[in-house]
Amino acid sequence: MFEEFLKRIWPKVRRNHLFPQISSPQLVESEEEVALEIKSKQMTINVNFLQSLTEKMTPEDALQALLDHGISHYMYCPWDFNTHLMLYSEAKKVLKDKRLAQKAASYFMDVVANTYCVKERETKIPELYRHLPKEGVQRILALLYQVIWGIDLGAQGEEESIKRLSRIPYLEKRLWKESIKKFAKTLEEFLQKEMENEQKSSKKAQNPLGEHSIENYTLEEIDKGLREFASSVDDITEFRETVEDLKDELAAMGYTTGGMGRGAGNPIDADLLYYMKLAENYTLPIKKLPMEKSGVLHPHSHSPWEIGKPVQDIDPWTSFGKIMPGLTQMWIRREGEVFGEMEKIPDCLIIIDSSGSMTNPRERLSYAVLGAACACNAYLKNSKRVAVYNFSDAFRGNKLILDFCKEKESIYWAICRYFGGGTAIDLNDVTYLLKQSEKPDIFIITDMQITNLEKLIDFFNSIENRVTAVHIGENIYAARFREGLKQKNNVSLFLVKDKEDIPKIVLGKVREYFSSSF
Amino acid sequence: MKNPFEEFRGQSTRSKGKELPLDRILKAKEETLNQILKGYENLLKNEAKDLVWLMQYSTVIKAYSIAEEAIKGINYAAEDIEEFCYVLDKTDQVPYLITGPAGVYISALCNHAEEDEIVLRLQDVGIKINLLGYRLPEGKRLVIEGNVGDFTGISLEGGELIIEGSAKNYTGAGMKKGRIIVKQNVGFNTGHGMTGGEILVGGRIKGLGKVVGGKIYEKGQLIFPSDDYRPFYF
Repeated sequence: MFEEFLKRIWPKVRRNHLFPQISSPQLVESEEEVALEIKSKQMTINVNFLQSLTEKMTPEDALQALLDHGISHYMYCPWDFNTHLMLYSEAKKVLKDKRLAQKAASYFMDVVANTYCVKERETKIPELYRHLPKEGVQRILALLYQVIWGIDLGAQGEEESIKRLSRIPYLEKRLWKESIKKFAKTLEEFLQKEMENEQKSSKKAQNPLGEHSIENYTLEEIDKGLREFASSVDDITEFRETVEDLKDELAAMGYTTGGMGRGAGNPIDADLLYYMKLAENYTLPIKKLPMEKSGVLHPHSHSPWEIGKPVQDIDPWTSFGKIMPGLTQMWIRREGEVFGEMEKIPDCLIIIDSSGSMTNPRERLSYAVLGAACACNAYLKNSKRVAVYNFSDAFRGNKLILDFCKEKESIYWAICRYFGGGTAIDLNDVTYLLKQSEKPDIFIITDMQITNLEKLIDFFNSIENRVTAVHIGENIYAARFREGLKQKNNVSLFLVKDKEDIPKIVLGKVREYFSSSF
Repeated sequence: MKNPFEEFRGQSTRSKGKELPLDRILKAKEETLNQILKGYENLLKNEAKDLVWLMQYSTVIKAYSIAEEAIKGINYAAEDIEEFCYVLDKTDQVPYLITGPAGVYISALCNHAEEDEIVLRLQDVGIKINLLGYRLPEGKRLVIEGNVGDFTGISLEGGELIIEGSAKNYTGAGMKKGRIIVKQNVGFNTGHGMTGGEILVGGRIKGLGKVVGGKIYEKGQLIFPSDDYRPFYF
């Protein structure tokens, strides 16, 4: 019976929502007290729940309301995984508890999606809510809906908190960050009660219209969401806290630090993931292959044949079989173009200073690490290998050497390693790494306060590899470095006054490398 | 040729939708907030013209009477006061950031609010507002979630002021009656010049002022009057 209803109603609902690109919902029989579930954009409706609703409302209306609710989540809130993460993260700041924050974010999304639908579309959602159970948080939400929709849903009682909840601008997307905090704080007491009840009865309080979890999204959406979230958060700690909370769910879905994929990967390192996702926002275009003249002539166009012109170029097919100047057509030949030899891009050795004067990348956003990460991505995308030499006081063992490889996770791990001691570079290590590849590029990020700076200058003077050196702020050491290498065309030094400029400059230079002939 | 957008015929894409009670609530909220802000700007025009506001007994009294005048006729609720605090925190207008007049103005709003109990959730407010709870009258209960600045609850007139976080210096100075409860710590000169009422501090008191009367408790222990702290006679 419901199959028929669904077939009839689904096109109407889609039309009502301006034809969202979402697959047809499925009907399943489940014992759970949940009417609707959305997993990877696939809506699943519980027939048993629907059956229980038909005693109170028509099956068409119940179906329509459920579909409206599901589509509103897809079309308006949360819309994407980044918004979901943002709402969760802001709720967590207020509630300081993972489960409470998940619940708050989930209920907030419901209120926004429902209110959007009630305001913008013809919907049976209010009728559905009139017949849903009204206990605990559900009662509070029903009371809220009564106030903000102006429709009687049969919820009884008065709550002081409704006054606060009804003042939240749910349909103002730009204010959701603030709104979720107020919403979560106001609902805190009720959410805690719900949690306590769950613990007592060992039964999870079900949201009849489904929970909002990471399972709602595809792996591609999760990847994109994390990338956007990394660039929208204020600092690395916020990203880390959110990702750590979702670590198990992400792992269960097959998402690892290295990105999407199947099989057991390494456990998620939130810090590494942060730099990975952030660096992905600065992608470099790969230079197109240059076109070259092939040296071979081919028929290109026609022109009238005249006496004295070669007869072998006459095209009999367009000359009507006649040899007559002005009428007879001959081929004009042109040289063809073919793809030339591919520009060569070398491997890259990233030398990164992680001494005490540099920012610890696991505490705050390190622009040095971000810059190195961007460069690393650029080389890896060109199928080149990257080696890392991470140093602090290298002669005391504070160094990390990673040989040339293409394993992104290992490279990021090496870049993010922080020693925090003095600054001395062991050039034997650098020489060793340079020998492992054919004339690799060198990319060095440091504050230049290196105790054996003179040796480094001499070293760079003695090699022909292209060197990009980035340092933060002007100081006498940087001036000395510039002075010492000013004759070398293969060494570029960037003075960075604003740390945020590092990724841009680095990328610009790398782009320049890729577009120049090697 | 078939119109490729045939299916969309009759669908309006730019409709503003139905008007819900939520829209009216938000509009009313905005109007009230604008009125409150206008009143506050009047106070600033009078009291902080040169972006300077000296905290003196006479200036506080004068500012309070101007604030009382400014809020006359505004129909507001406790939540509007909270919204105003957040506007102060978010603003980039320099006069708004002078927290002295802001505290006096908020106190006037609280003292003249219809509700007997007002809860201000200010945990996320970055600035620490001074002078909150000034002259809180008998029968009023003001609960502030978060930390507050200097001169909190001064000249308290019988109300109950509860600070869920910490307060800075001169808390309860000059209070006559009523009760101030600070869940965490308070700064120096606590209860300076107070003549009556109680101050209960859940955490640490950095220092007492010249206390004339009343009672002060630290972590449940009566510390004034005691052998260490005797009443001061001006």
